[in-house]
Formats: sequence, C-alpha cells, structure tokens
Amino acid sequence: MSSPRPTSVPAKHPKRDRLSTTSFLLEIGSEELPWQMIQPAMTQLAHLMDGFLANHRLAHESVRTFGTPRRLAVIVQGLANKQTPALQETLGPSKAVAFDAQGHPTKAAEGFAKSQGVDVGELETRETSKGVYLCAIKRQKGLPAATVFTEHLPGLLQQLTFSKTMRWNVSGVRYPRPIRWLVALVGARALSFDFAGVRSGAHSWGHRFFAGGKSVAGSRGIRIRRPELYEAALARGDVVVDPARRREMLAGQLTQLARSVKGRVYQVNQEELLDQAVFSLECPNVLCGNFDRTYLAVPPEVLIASMEEHQGFFSVIDRKGELLPRFFAPTNMNVKNMELIAKGNERVLAARLADARYFFDEDRKLKLADRVPQLHGVVFHKRLGSLYQKTERTIALAGALADVAGLPEVKALCQRAALLSKADLVTGMVGEFPTLQGVMGEKYAAHDGESVEVCQAIGEYYRPRTPDDAIPGTTVGRLLALSDRLDTLAAFFYAGIVPSGSEDPFGLRRSAFGVIRIVVEAGLNIDLGVILQQATRLLDAQGVKAGGHAGPPLHKFLEDRLRYYGRTVPGYREDVMDSVLGRADGAACDFRDLFLRMDALQAITSQRDFESLIVGFKRAHRIVEKEAWTTRTVAVELLTHPTERTLHQAVETAKRAVGHSLDAHDYHGALRQLIGLKSPIDRFFDGVLVNAPEPEVRANRLSLLCQVDDLFSAFGDLSQIQVQGQ
Amino acid sequence: MLGSRLQIIYAILPVRSSGYRSLAATTSVTLQNLILSLHQFWAKHDCIICQPYDLEKGAGTFNPATFLRALGPEPWRAAYVEPCRRPTDGRYGENPNRLQHYYQYQVVIKPCVDTIQSLYLDSLLTLGIDPRKHDIQFRQDDWESPTLGAWGLGWEVRLDGMEITQFTYFQEAGGHTLDPVTVELTYGTERIAMYLQGVDNVYDLRWSDDVSYGDLFHDSEVQFSRYHFEAADIAMIHTMFASCEEECRTLLQQGLVLPAYDYCMKTSHLFNVLDARGALSVAERTGFIGRVRGLARGCADAYVERRKSLGFPLLAGSGVAQAASSKRKRKRLPS
Repeated sequence: MSSPRPTSVPAKHPKRDRLSTTSFLLEIGSEELPWQMIQPAMTQLAHLMDGFLANHRLAHESVRTFGTPRRLAVIVQGLANKQTPALQETLGPSKAVAFDAQGHPTKAAEGFAKSQGVDVGELETRETSKGVYLCAIKRQKGLPAATVFTEHLPGLLQQLTFSKTMRWNVSGVRYPRPIRWLVALVGARALSFDFAGVRSGAHSWGHRFFAGGKSVAGSRGIRIRRPELYEAALARGDVVVDPARRREMLAGQLTQLARSVKGRVYQVNQEELLDQAVFSLECPNVLCGNFDRTYLAVPPEVLIASMEEHQGFFSVIDRKGELLPRFFAPTNMNVKNMELIAKGNERVLAARLADARYFFDEDRKLKLADRVPQLHGVVFHKRLGSLYQKTERTIALAGALADVAGLPEVKALCQRAALLSKADLVTGMVGEFPTLQGVMGEKYAAHDGESVEVCQAIGEYYRPRTPDDAIPGTTVGRLLALSDRLDTLAAFFYAGIVPSGSEDPFGLRRSAFGVIRIVVEAGLNIDLGVILQQATRLLDAQGVKAGGHAGPPLHKFLEDRLRYYGRTVPGYREDVMDSVLGRADGAACDFRDLFLRMDALQAITSQRDFESLIVGFKRAHRIVEKEAWTTRTVAVELLTHPTERTLHQAVETAKRAVGHSLDAHDYHGALRQLIGLKSPIDRFFDGVLVNAPEPEVRANRLSLLCQVDDLFSAFGDLSQIQVQGQ
Repeated sequence: MLGSRLQIIYAILPVRSSGYRSLAATTSVTLQNLILSLHQFWAKHDCIICQPYDLEKGAGTFNPATFLRALGPEPWRAAYVEPCRRPTDGRYGENPNRLQHYYQYQVVIKPCVDTIQSLYLDSLLTLGIDPRKHDIQFRQDDWESPTLGAWGLGWEVRLDGMEITQFTYFQEAGGHTLDPVTVELTYGTERIAMYLQGVDNVYDLRWSDDVSYGDLFHDSEVQFSRYHFEAADIAMIHTMFASCEEECRTLLQQGLVLPAYDYCMKTSHLFNVLDARGALSVAERTGFIGRVRGLARGCADAYVERRKSLGFPLLAGSGVAQAASSKRKRKRLPS
C-alpha cells in the first residue's frame, strides 16, 4: 500500500542558497592513457556526474570535464552545500477506514502514524484513483555534499567503462592504465576515500619532468586548494588540462610555424592527427625540423605517410603545393633549448625516410606485372581463395562491364588495369604503409611504362574511400572500381558471408554504396544483374563453395544502398523510392535507371495535378486489384459513354508516348504523359459506373481500367505514393 | 666528444637518485657499459641478474625467465640481456638501422610495483638521458604475441621521437590470466647507444672503446641474411619443425615441461626462418602460428601444474619473495 514518493522542495530562500554553494573537483590520475580513449571518457564522466548529482539531489550550475593523457577530471560549479531536502510521501489506509463516524481517527490511523513516526494530527489525505487515502509526509534532511561524495564516488568511478582495460594490483579494478592518484575536493575540503588501492586527497601531479612532476627530485606534487584553482594550479605545473586550449595552442603554433617557412600545413587527415597530438600531450609545443632534400625524389605521399603514421609529424607544402623538406613535430616539452629534441627527431625521421627510399628503390626493380603471380600467396578470404583468383575474376568482370556499358574501346585497358590492380599489395612499400595501396600501384605502373589510362585507373579505383570522397575520374578507373567491388560483393554473398546488424567486418555496405555512387554519379546504365551472374559463374568455376546466393539477396542489398543514397544525398521521399523499387519487375538491376525514375517522380510530386492524378489512379488500381482483373483487349464497340471513349483514346495515345519515353529513359516525359490522363480518368469516374448492370459492359470497363493500371505500372508502383488526406 | 658534453651537463644536474651516478658522467657510453650500467641499476632494485637463454628466440619474452616466470602466483624480479633473432629483418648489413640479430635488455617484475614508470625513468638518467632536456613520451602500444598466446597493455617509450623501450603490463600468457600482473620493460640497447654516441649507423656503434658493432657483427648480418633469404633448406626446416613439435608434445606427456618448452622455442624460431625464406603463404603462416601457440599453451599449463606440485617454492621465504614483499610497502602520496 505504501509508496514512497520523494519530491523536491522548491528553494524558499534563493538568496541564502546562493551564498551556500560550493564547488567540487575530482581528478583521476593515471599512467598515460591511450589518446583515443580520453575524449569519450570525458563525455562519459560528464554524463555519469550529471546522473550522480540528480540521483543524490545535489543542485548545481554546471559540470565541466578536463582530460590529458595522465588525468581525467570533472569540476562541478555552483554546487549546493547540502542535498536538496525531500518530502517523502507514504500512503496509508483509506479515509473511510481511518476515521470513525464522528470523524475521530481509528486504530488504523494511529497505527499508521506510529509506523511512520509522525503525529496523527500531521497526517494528510490524498485523492487517488481508488478513493481518498491517508498520507504521511516525512521531511528527508539533506546530507552535506562532501558526505555524499565521499561515500558514493567509488561507485561512480566503478561505472566508467572503456574499450580495453587492464588489472595491475590486488584491488582488481579495471582501467585502461594503472590509476596512481586521486584528487577529490568539495570547496577547500579534501575528501578521503579509497579506490583502486589509492587514497584520495588534495595532491595532484604536474608535468612529469617539471616542477611538481613525479620524476623530479623532492617533488611533492601540486596541492589543489580549491576546485576553481585547478586549471591554474596545473598550469603552473606545466600541464594544460583543457583539451580545447591545447588544440588552440597546437593549431596556433602550426600556423605560425608554417608562415615562418612560407608554407602551409598539409595533411589529408589533419583533424585526426591534431586530435592525436591534443590527447597525447600535456604541454604541447610544436617544433620545426628538417630532412634532407634528396628524399624529395621519393613520392610525397610516401614521405607524408612516413611522417604522419610513424612519427605523428605534420607536413608542410609551399605556395605551389610542393612538399617542403621540413616537418612539424608536436612535443610535450617546452624548454629553452629545443635544439637537442629537434636533432633527435630529425635523426629518427631520416632513418624512417631512408627505409622508405629503400622500399621505393627495391620495389621498382620488379615490374608490377611480374608481381602478379605472388598474389597466389596472399589470401583474400579463407573461403574465397587467393588475391590471384580475385584478380582473375576482376579481369573477366572488367571486360564484361566494358561490353555491357557499351564501351568496347576501353575493354583492353580495363582488363590490363584489373590485372595490375592488386600487385602493389605485395610491394615492400604497401606492406609498410597499407594506406598507400593504389597510390603506389599508380607510381610503379607509370615507372613500368604502362599506359596513362591504366596508371590512373590503378591510382583511383579505391575511391570513393569515404562518403565524402569523389568517385574515380576516368572511365577505366570507374569500370575497374565497379568490377573490383562487384566481385567482392558477389563473392561474399555467394559464400554466404553477409553483413548482419551493425556487423560488417568486410565493409560490404561501403563497397555497395561505392557501386551505387559510381553508377549514379557517373551516369552508367549497366544491367548489374548480368555482371553478377557472370561473377557467380566465375566463382563456381574456381571451385568456391557456395553458402549463399549472389542473386536476389545481393540485389536487395544494393537496392538498400540505393535507397540510402536517395535518402541522404538528393533527399527523396520514401514513398517515391517505394514506388520505383517496388514495381512489378523487381529484378531490374540498372540502378542508374532506377535512380532516374526516382528523380523524375520526386520532381513531379510538387506539380499541381499530381495528387489528384494519384487519387484517380489509385481508385482504378484498387478496383482492378480487387477484381483480380487481368489485361484484356478493350472492345471499342462496347464503349458507350463519351467519357469512356475519351479515356480509351487518351490511354491508347499515352501508351505509345509513354513507351517511347521509357525506352529513351525520359522519365520526366513519361510522367508528363501520365499527368495528362488526370482529367480523362476523373471524368470517367464521374461519367460512368464501373459496375454496369450489363456484364459485358462491366467487363469492358474493367479492362479499360486495367490498361490504365498497366500504363502506370510500366513506370513504377505508384500505388505506394501517399496522398495528403488519404 | 659527446661524452664530455654530457659530463658537463651532469656536473650541474642534481641527480635524483643519489645512489646511481650517470653512466655518461663516469665513462664513455659504449654498448657494453650501457649494459653494465643497467645491470647495476636493476640489481640495486632487487632484480636477479639472469643470463641470456641459450636458444634462438625472437624476443626476450620467450626466455623462460619471462614467459614461464610470469605464470602463477610466485613473485619474480629479474633483468637480463637477451640476444634476439628476427630473420625477416635482415638487410645484408646494408641498412644502418635494421638487424636480424640484436640485443634486448629485459626487466621483469612481478607483482608490478607502483613506482615502475619513475624507476624506469631513473634508469634512463643513469644512462645519461636527462628527461628534462629531451622529449620522452609514453605512446600507447598494446602488445600481443600470437605465438605465445599472450597479451598486455602498455606503451612504446619514445625519446625525441625514437622508440627506445617497450613497456608492458602482461595480462595473459599461454592462455592464462595473470594474477599477479608482471610488468616487462624491453630496452632496445643498440638504439639507446646510438642515440648516446650520436651515430647514425648501428655498425659504427662502439661496443667497447676500441671495437665497433660492425667489427663484431657485420659479417654475421651478411651471412645470416644470405642464409635466411637464400640458402636455408626449406624441406629440412619443415622437417625440423615437425620433429620439434612432436618432441614438445611427447615431453609434455612425460611431464618434462622445461625441456618441452625448449622445443616450443625451437619451433617458433624455425617458423621465423621459414617465414623469412618466403616459404609460407598467408594461410600457412596462420596455421604455423596456431601450432606454436598450441605448444606454448601446453607448456604454460604444465608449468603451472609443476610449480604447484612443488608448492610454489618462491612464494614464501626465498630471497626473491622477500625482496618483492619489501617493495609492497608502498609509500603513500603526500596528502
């Protein structure tokens, strides 16, 4: 019967409450955390703290988090000194039972009051759905914030989760790296609790190697006097706790350094590299170093990859876009003499670049074409054979695509490009820098004297690599990109390895999206059904074991990607896409064509007559569907009413015109013809009853409507279109 | 010249741990002095100075003093030099930075101590590397050995951008969850020495005052590169691998875990040779790795059983145990 319902009491004295606010700081000091984990952990910490404060009725103004490799911190500002008092209401017996005829409390009422520890006179009543009941109200006093934090912070810390954690001591606590200190303050008061074998207090540690650092003789750390002083105190210990500030510092230094060498920072993944620096350093300071000019003979992509991936260095280009023999290295030290550090970094980079040059020179000693047999030794997937087998299939598909696309003049080029497309994967350079696949293939193919078209195709067929990336720019590149992806898709579907839910380890959705983008954006009208059939034959001929099907399931998979494209890029209506994708000959595999249909239909939805046309069409469609009427010849002599004859004529005319337009892929034209049927259909329904008393007239009218239905269906399943008010 | 410059720097530096004087301050930074200095440092920190294990291996982790000692509850503190062979890294003595045979300096401490990062940095100071003048960063590097069925979390330590040490908190080995946790430090001795001597070519390193690394090992690099890449008899090594695998399994059945582990180590090295020789396809590689891991797991299981049957002798009373337990009395942070 009793149901405690704590409710907050609104502050009665806002002025006094303001005076009694305080602040809170928690810092979790650890050994260096992986940089990728810090930002998500800060978000998580803020979220947990919000929940914590709400659960424990601690009023506050703001929650702010900080993070460096060696610490996660959260500060709560405008924190109430005490928990908000709560009124806890408990329902007791019904009013009818609680009071006698004279209105005096009964034993039941007294018993309830006693059990709740209140006076009978203080009991109130509450109206409920079941009637009026007694209610005891207890005031829960608010505990001091410090008490609440001390007691419950270990529980909060326990809730932090990370993608990869470890144990290090008997506490058994899991965290990404060992926790070494904890700071917890409410106002000027240090809180003392134990977690992960560490006792919390007021002492933090600064930059490892400067005043207040752990590795400095005699250092006792940094005492944080109040949460408000946290940022400043750590700044004196050479630690910038706010990542936004560190990002500003790094970005500013990079810009300034670039300007000083008359260049600008060049990085494909600049934001990610900057993130890495922001979250790897406590005291960011960028230095400028040089490398030997002779390395500029190595392709700039290689130099940039070497600097970025191995060392985390930024590259710099001049006004003409040429790479400069310099680098910007983010360091964690700000000392007067950066010379020693710069020299060290230069030496490390020189060794890296020497290695890259070694690969570049060695790789060019063997032609790409001569490397192809080595692909026998590289597994594509254990159920799908080697990369050599994949290459064989890709060559065949590239040739078939050139034929189907009506581009026989590029067939030989496509096949040559396909032959060489995977050969760079067995070069030393791509082994060292996998991100340079394709890039190196193009360079090496050019060195081997392959044709320009083949080189370009090898260089660009991995595009689009991301949703924002452009599709390949050349015809050969596009056809190669399609044949590589279609083979991959067909192969995995054929083997029954299909993405499910969020699991897509082989990036098949990305591959399919690439296919859609290339056919749509390059305007390639290709029946992919033919290609996928051939892909299946090739897999079968190579003896790959079938575990699934590269037919309908893959078709549906590609259709889903087309739908995703339609939704996210041009922003088509769902019912427009349903109409086009849901039409009777659902096996159509010309995705460019489907796209054009969607495009035309989407465009016409805004026309004035469109909705009423659809209303009329749907009426015809429903009747035909209900009667399960099939296509029959309309007997002209039985058309008695003028509206019937008009509609029949209009349908006959439109049939020819729509047919021509569809054949020419002129879907805007086809839809214009259909719009023209609006008034004949409307007048027909106004003029005659389909259910004529004479059976032959009725049958003839149904046949006429069936022709209307067929005519519309040639474009798509327009019955899917939603009309306002229907 | 570099030595004398460092000498001046160190003359004005308050050396943090008064017991250890900087190597650079006292002697020239030869590779052999670097090793001696690390020996002294870690011996003073209660580590047993072990000797290298007398079998070929790809890393100091394979030494029973790390892989086997990390298993089970017994405490352990050891430091040793470990010659390592990585056949695929051979460059015929032509690359100034890559070697197919080199020397790791390995420190293993179980249970790991709270001050291990500071201890490690102190060890660098004794080598003449002042963290206040360099940029030392701990960059995430999670370690995994598929052949040992082992993994751990840690860092590669970078000195002015150069990786000089692998720092790992072992979490699992031979398929066993490790409790207590062992921490492993693996110094790249050649790299650190190159940095200290200011040389860009490993063959120019001074091993002692008058003998260079090249004098000692250049021809070995040339010969072993030729052997691993061109001459190794693939069929013979395949046979050896199979024989060693068989022997390991047989010995495990007889409860001879230490000899069995020797044969497990041998299979690992033979696999590396086959790999360098280009004799394995990707699929075969995976198969071979799985076979070595199977042996390593078998050895780990048997080793824990064996130590248990002996009553975990290092757990109480022994010198190692006492040294470790005295370290457990952690100094509390000032508060």
